[in-house]
Amino acid sequence: MSQQAADLLVVSSVESAYGPIKAIRGVSLKVAASSIVTLLGSNGAGKTTLLKTISGIMDPLRGSIEFRHQNISGFDPARIVQMGLSHVPEGREVFPLLTVHENLLMGAYTRSDRDAVAKDMERAYGYFPILSQRRDQDAGLLSGGQQQMLAIARALLSSPRMILMDEPSLGLSPKLTKEIFEIIVRINRESGTSILLIEQNAHMALNTADYGYVLENGRVVLEDQCDRLREKEDIREFYLGMKQQGVRGDRRWKKKKTWR
Amino acid sequence: MRYLWKLHEEFERAQRKIAPPLAGDTAQAMFWNAVALRSDQVWLRYKKFGIWQSLTWQQTADQVEAVTAGLIALGLAVQDRVAIISNTRAEWVLADLAALSAAATTVGVYPTDSPSQLSYVINDSSARFIFVEDEEQLDKALSVMDECPSLGRVIVMDEKGLSNYQHDRVLGWSALLELGRLALGAAPGMVKERLAQQRTDHLAMLVYTSGTTGKPKGAMHHQEGLVYAIRAHSKIIWQNPTDERMCFLPLCHIAERIGGAFISMYTGTRINFVENPETVPENIREIAPTVVLAVPRVWEKFHSGVMLALSESTPLQQRLFHAAIGLGLRIADRVLGGQRVPLMERIGYVLAQWLVLANVRKSIGLDRARVLLTGAAPISPQLIRWFFALGSPMLELWGMTETCAASSANRPGHIKLGSIGQAAEHNEMRIDPQTGEILVQGKNVFSGYLNNPEKTAEAFTPDGWLRTGDVATVDGQGFFTIVDRMKDIIITAGGKNITPSELENELKASPYITDAVVIGDRKPYLTAIIMVDHDNVEHFALSRDIRFTNYESLTRSQEVVDLIAAEVAGVNQRYARVEQIKKFRLLGKKLTPEDEEVTPTMKLKRKLILDRYTPMIEAMYAEP
Repeated sequence: MSQQAADLLVVSSVESAYGPIKAIRGVSLKVAASSIVTLLGSNGAGKTTLLKTISGIMDPLRGSIEFRHQNISGFDPARIVQMGLSHVPEGREVFPLLTVHENLLMGAYTRSDRDAVAKDMERAYGYFPILSQRRDQDAGLLSGGQQQMLAIARALLSSPRMILMDEPSLGLSPKLTKEIFEIIVRINRESGTSILLIEQNAHMALNTADYGYVLENGRVVLEDQCDRLREKEDIREFYLGMKQQGVRGDRRWKKKKTWR
Repeated sequence: MRYLWKLHEEFERAQRKIAPPLAGDTAQAMFWNAVALRSDQVWLRYKKFGIWQSLTWQQTADQVEAVTAGLIALGLAVQDRVAIISNTRAEWVLADLAALSAAATTVGVYPTDSPSQLSYVINDSSARFIFVEDEEQLDKALSVMDECPSLGRVIVMDEKGLSNYQHDRVLGWSALLELGRLALGAAPGMVKERLAQQRTDHLAMLVYTSGTTGKPKGAMHHQEGLVYAIRAHSKIIWQNPTDERMCFLPLCHIAERIGGAFISMYTGTRINFVENPETVPENIREIAPTVVLAVPRVWEKFHSGVMLALSESTPLQQRLFHAAIGLGLRIADRVLGGQRVPLMERIGYVLAQWLVLANVRKSIGLDRARVLLTGAAPISPQLIRWFFALGSPMLELWGMTETCAASSANRPGHIKLGSIGQAAEHNEMRIDPQTGEILVQGKNVFSGYLNNPEKTAEAFTPDGWLRTGDVATVDGQGFFTIVDRMKDIIITAGGKNITPSELENELKASPYITDAVVIGDRKPYLTAIIMVDHDNVEHFALSRDIRFTNYESLTRSQEVVDLIAAEVAGVNQRYARVEQIKKFRLLGKKLTPEDEEVTPTMKLKRKLILDRYTPMIEAMYAEP
């Protein structure tokens, strides 16, 4: 039972669709408390849809989502945020005409404990000093990296137990990506916040996370500890780009994935 | 719409359209005679960039002539060997006919074979040329080139991605055509000259048997036997020039080679090639073939696909379907039993076809199919009955590589469910009184395994009959019923003889089970290793909110184990206690055709499963 108690998020056989098109077809996964879990998968595999379904932006057709031992499927997104599950959407989505500070306050919109909000605000500025310097600037005028930082900081302001992060490295330089990932790990280590992470940079994701799931065509095809995933042949070839050279220099065909 | 009581009339009508016999002493002579007769009619159809293209007999001949000339120009001598490693596609047939026209021998290799298997086949057959399908197969051929001293040139059928690739021993299909046309320009009669050198005792093809044990063996078929077998098949597969066939099984397998390509060449039937093995369900709906030859695995897939779609339909639709198929089964039994179908049932069935069954057949692409043929592996008689009920008569054939495809067949008017039919006219079949094994004699029987006099000697009785390895019984009317493969028969520790394939077929009839291996030789009881049907079991799990992530976790979930246990219990009911499966395990690894444990048609290889999964098997016998 202790194992189950430690599971913060339990997704069971979830299916979601955009109209007639099923984007996820029965996905089950677990995120343990204080852990980082990554979701890998090619474009259109259903990763973003899964995060949207978890955070309540989309309602699942089928299956259940349990957060802190409570079924949250069908809940209003605001209520899910209040329960401690925050979503950092793909492409940052900050409010461009609000200042940095106002953006952060939006993150605390669902809260009424002002003292704690002030403390979290300090903590967020602590993680991202650059935001503190730009606190009165319009968010739309920030650089891409700073906007990403803002999006993460905004999520922190809801005092989450868990953060869903959708491609935090999107459009960022390798150096900035590295910085952001260092902060993600710090957030996880220092406050025990669980993180479910989608990341195109599989190398980075597998080094950061504890556990990983590979999604393909809306199904989980592989799951394991990240250090074991890194050793799998299909992961090496299709996600880490370490393909065997073959007999000719330029091999174009792809071998069949077996996910073993 | 197809009414079972009109079965014979329909067969007779189709038979009246049969083309006159084609002259020719060799397969290539038949082809060139067919071209002369049918020049402007369409023969081959295939898809290119999503659009159907067609080749008339004359266009096919032009390409075959150019390829033949190209091969001769590259130095292909009479009776050299030409290997082909490719999925089923038009160029396979063109390359085959070209190699034959050059009086050479064709050697088919499964595209799923590993480099080491390919290298073995090339060396065993001492192939001089190899046609490879695409980049992937090219890489396979290149990786073994150094170990294959006989191999001269590699010809790539699909040159996609290779426009900048240079290798002095690799040639594209178009380059070969050009080379051939140039050679023909210089010596217009060169192909005709080569055709004149054909002899009936030439080796026409080497068919490598997949070989579950040891190395594959190359079965030799000479022109005389091949031509004899092709002619004979026109009396088993009643097709005519108005029929449409779909070519999709591996052409290196004897069933599609003879029962698909060569028979259609003989009867003048159009051949439609599928895009690749994965697109068969879509392509069959586009083609809507009128005659379909397939292996049981395909029919099982169609059946479980229909049953799965049904489980998602409304209760009314489900009731209608069950009523329609129930009536169909009743009528099928009457027709097969030679009884008259009462008028009320006929009216009901017309309605059932109109409301339900015609749509079901359409959804799986069988709406125009007037006859279905099944062979190459055992099939559950219940499945045959089901297709009859649907309005698609299904005939079971039996044959093997060594008999050059079909040897016995169920024919209209001579059908016995569960049997492999009566011996076909062209060969004799009898049962060995000692072992119960089927023995075959006829001109279609192969001439031995290449470079393997030992195995060849083992394959024949002292008086020259082929030992087929299948144990069977025969009834008074000459219908043979297979008991099992001789080497697979299980004798339990209690001394009871068990035929595993019977149990395995019953298990496979479940939509949740793809294949199974029943074990129990010299053991106290029977056990089974089962491969589940991924799609259907996944669907089951989802509809019951069973947690699983990937294939392996699916096979480990208790609910799935219970589901299969129920299926096994259902099969057990029909058997005596000693014949029941006491325990089973599910294979946790998702197998693909590239895996050694399965044949290219996804059948589990008994011997390999027994070897590979010894601990799993022993565990089933170790626990109390």
